[in-house]
Amino acid sequence: MTMGDISPNWQEVLVNYTLTARDAVGASALFMRSDDGTKTRQFTEATYTRLIRRWNMPESQANIWFIGGIGNITGNDFSGSKTMASPGIQVDYETTRIYVSATSRLYRAQGLNHDFASVRTGFSFYEVDYDQTQPWFILEVRRMRGLTDKTEVTPMLRLIHNRYFVELGVNNASQARMNFMYIF
Amino acid sequence: MKKIVIALAMGITAISSMAATSMKFTVNGMVCSFCAQGIEKSLSKMGATKEVFVDLKKKTVAVEAKDGQVLDAKAIISAEIVDAGYDVVKIETVLQSVAEIKAELKGRK
Repeated sequence: MTMGDISPNWQEVLVNYTLTARDAVGASALFMRSDDGTKTRQFTEATYTRLIRRWNMPESQANIWFIGGIGNITGNDFSGSKTMASPGIQVDYETTRIYVSATSRLYRAQGLNHDFASVRTGFSFYEVDYDQTQPWFILEVRRMRGLTDKTEVTPMLRLIHNRYFVELGVNNASQARMNFMYIF
Repeated sequence: MKKIVIALAMGITAISSMAATSMKFTVNGMVCSFCAQGIEKSLSKMGATKEVFVDLKKKTVAVEAKDGQVLDAKAIISAEIVDAGYDVVKIETVLQSVAEIKAELKGRK
């Protein structure tokens, strides 16, 4: 699986390889920028994702995930690179029509704290067969320490078709945003 | 009379052997198209599989066997659906093709 999250202040590309139904390893490259554009960060990490718990219900599924990473971070306001750890947790609940998730991740290195939290919720406009394009409305609210003191709110149109997933939106700072995912 | 009975019996046997055999699984937790495609992909790779159909709304996975082959329900369930992270709550063997199951499920929508 490969996925990306692209906006002016946040650009992330991730490749994940599923080892088992519960475990995946990957590599990620993340560029972060402060709201005023003066501070930047580049973080490359090796990631591990673990499904801690899943509830399979007749019409829905709920999950708790551990997401962790370790890698190097560089920035334009300090010299050299630092080792950064990024453990986090995600909980989600999904039906064929409704999606809700909450994610919290620590991004910590010596002298740096870019902890991150997001909440996503949305609904599909109508039900489709799994091989047809399904449009969703998704609203994401996220916040990160250290680079911005603003909460980013982004309404997005999500389209899922076969192995492709794309989200397009504009955030409350009038910046365009695109997320994508492709399952191999 | 005896000849008629034998002919009828032979006819029924022939029809039964010509009918496609499929397995229908009711699966909990299968809610997204990525889930469905993952299951379809892995079941399609199995040697005895002729065709696979997944209906998210009806929570159904239908697998049709190739002519003359038998589907191994245990292998299908344990190796593919449960290991992929979903729960199988019902298994049925039906004398229907996947196309017929698909038509039946879509007719119920």
